[in-house]
Amino acid sequence: MPDPLALKPLVDGGALATEPPGGPERAPEGGEVQVLSSGWKLALREFCQNKLGVAGVIIIVFFLLFCFLGPVVHHETATVNVLNSDVAPGHGHLLGTDDAGLDELNQVMLGGQTALAIGFFSAAIATIVGTLYGAISGLVGGLLDGLMMRFVDILLSIPFLLVVLILATKYHGTVFKLSVVLGIWTWLVPARLVRGEVLTLRVRDFVSAARVMGAGQPRLVFRHLIPNAMSVVIVNITFQVADAILALAYLGFLGFGLSPPQTSWGDMLGNAQQYVTNGQWWLVYPVGGCLVAVVLACNFIGDGLRDAVDVRLRRR
Amino acid sequence: MIGYIIRRVIVALIVTLGIAIITFLMLHYLQPTPVRIVLGAKSTPQAIADWNKQHGFDRSEIAQLGSYLWGLVRGHFGQSYKLGQSVSALFKENAGRSAYLSGAALVLSVLIAIPLGIFQAVKRNSIADYSLTSAAMILYSMPSFFLGLILIQFLALDLHVFPTGVSDTITTTWGAITHPKQLCLPIVTLTAINIASFSRYMRSSALDNLAQDYIRLARAKGLSERAVLTRHLLRNSCLPMITLVGLSIPGLLAGNLLIETLFNYQGLGLLFYNALQGDDYNILLALTIFGGFLTVIGNLVADIAITAADPRIRIA
Repeated sequence: MPDPLALKPLVDGGALATEPPGGPERAPEGGEVQVLSSGWKLALREFCQNKLGVAGVIIIVFFLLFCFLGPVVHHETATVNVLNSDVAPGHGHLLGTDDAGLDELNQVMLGGQTALAIGFFSAAIATIVGTLYGAISGLVGGLLDGLMMRFVDILLSIPFLLVVLILATKYHGTVFKLSVVLGIWTWLVPARLVRGEVLTLRVRDFVSAARVMGAGQPRLVFRHLIPNAMSVVIVNITFQVADAILALAYLGFLGFGLSPPQTSWGDMLGNAQQYVTNGQWWLVYPVGGCLVAVVLACNFIGDGLRDAVDVRLRRR
Repeated sequence: MIGYIIRRVIVALIVTLGIAIITFLMLHYLQPTPVRIVLGAKSTPQAIADWNKQHGFDRSEIAQLGSYLWGLVRGHFGQSYKLGQSVSALFKENAGRSAYLSGAALVLSVLIAIPLGIFQAVKRNSIADYSLTSAAMILYSMPSFFLGLILIQFLALDLHVFPTGVSDTITTTWGAITHPKQLCLPIVTLTAINIASFSRYMRSSALDNLAQDYIRLARAKGLSERAVLTRHLLRNSCLPMITLVGLSIPGLLAGNLLIETLFNYQGLGLLFYNALQGDDYNILLALTIFGGFLTVIGNLVADIAITAADPRIRIA
């Protein structure tokens, strides 16, 4: 018996249909015109033509290499040495040293590791929770959907930064805690997006077909609704990462970041005001510049992806 | 229209109630009783129990929530045990200064962002447009305190045009208004951050409108370009700004937090920050609920204003 799912892209006809199982086998052999090119490939091709989006990817790859492979190349013993503190750039330290005598370039790399990790983890938590919540809410519909969405509305009305700061007073210090604190308040937007997508998808023929064929609710959610709603989710992830890194900077600046010896770009800016006043520019601008570059790159990628997957939103 | 407004106000009240309940329960979980702050860390269990009983902290959570909500209805936000004052009094003392800072920044940014967005749309894809868009993207990706630091570095420390922070002698709202030089840097920082997001929307809204037939008609009947822009384009492309301003009002409270902390300006944001440091939960609770209330009011006012301003929008 042929897999009933193989019919999906034909029935759906949308540009964003995910590749069905067995899809690649049915694709024409090389040399022929690919009529059934998958939506993802089209989106990727579209994205590659967006210069800013590609620049964003390059910046992110550069920072991933810089932060995670950089410390391998740039050997630096991470021992506190007060006699060597606050040295200006040059003199064996490309970016000088900080209050504790640690090499600033090395600290920027280490701080980047945690900042990127927290950004990605919190975005992952938010996306998983939000996607499940939104998909379930959209699928069940009716009163429960109404209640679930009013709950999201209420949570969205509570100012994000204030509530995250309150939680961070008790839960900060480790990458895990900060990721959870940031993730737990950012799943609301993906939940709304996914619910909106699911509401339009659930009445489509391929979902009805799957239901008629006896697919249970979990199968509908995981096999049909979530994969098709994935495009909006993926676009959202990049913005989530950008927002999480910014929020982390705020937490670090206000003193609710990681506990030493761990550090993140946010924590490194915690004493920035004092550094600026003392003229220790090398402890402020390199790390701030890295942070802005990464957030900017995430926003570029997000804009590029959004334009690539959704023709309606494409700019003139 | 009246019926619509009444319905919206009722929903807004319910959402505000939900915000108050969720925030109260969350903070209650983080700190069930402020007894340690009042009596000190070394107080005896007997003294703690007595104090809790005396101030009603031995009751069930629901009872405490009930009395807090009843207090809110009568305008009592509880007591700051750290500062020994009622939260309402602290609120009255600081709200004016915060409102002045936010208000000035909001008015300035709207006044600048509208012509800027129209200019970018008219000169789209020119060098000026590209540089303004890039500047806006960079500002948008920058933590607000980092922009503040850069401004402190150049305008206060290098050029000595403005003071690095707001002087402690400014204790009243009137004092803040009559010492514009003191407040220049905070207002400029907030304004720049706001313009970064406003001008993006303004540009795309003006672009949408420029492609409309009524603009072509206005040009065809021989109006000068100036008249087309000021009489026809301006009014129509400003409509999204109404929603945007409504949505950004609560954000100003959070934005203030960092700017007030950075420039040491006595306002609600600095009050919140100090409360975070001292676990002063009644202040945190009241300000978070107030922020949520502002969000709800901002949405409501924006929706009503946009229906009043744009007759095409029908009330469902």
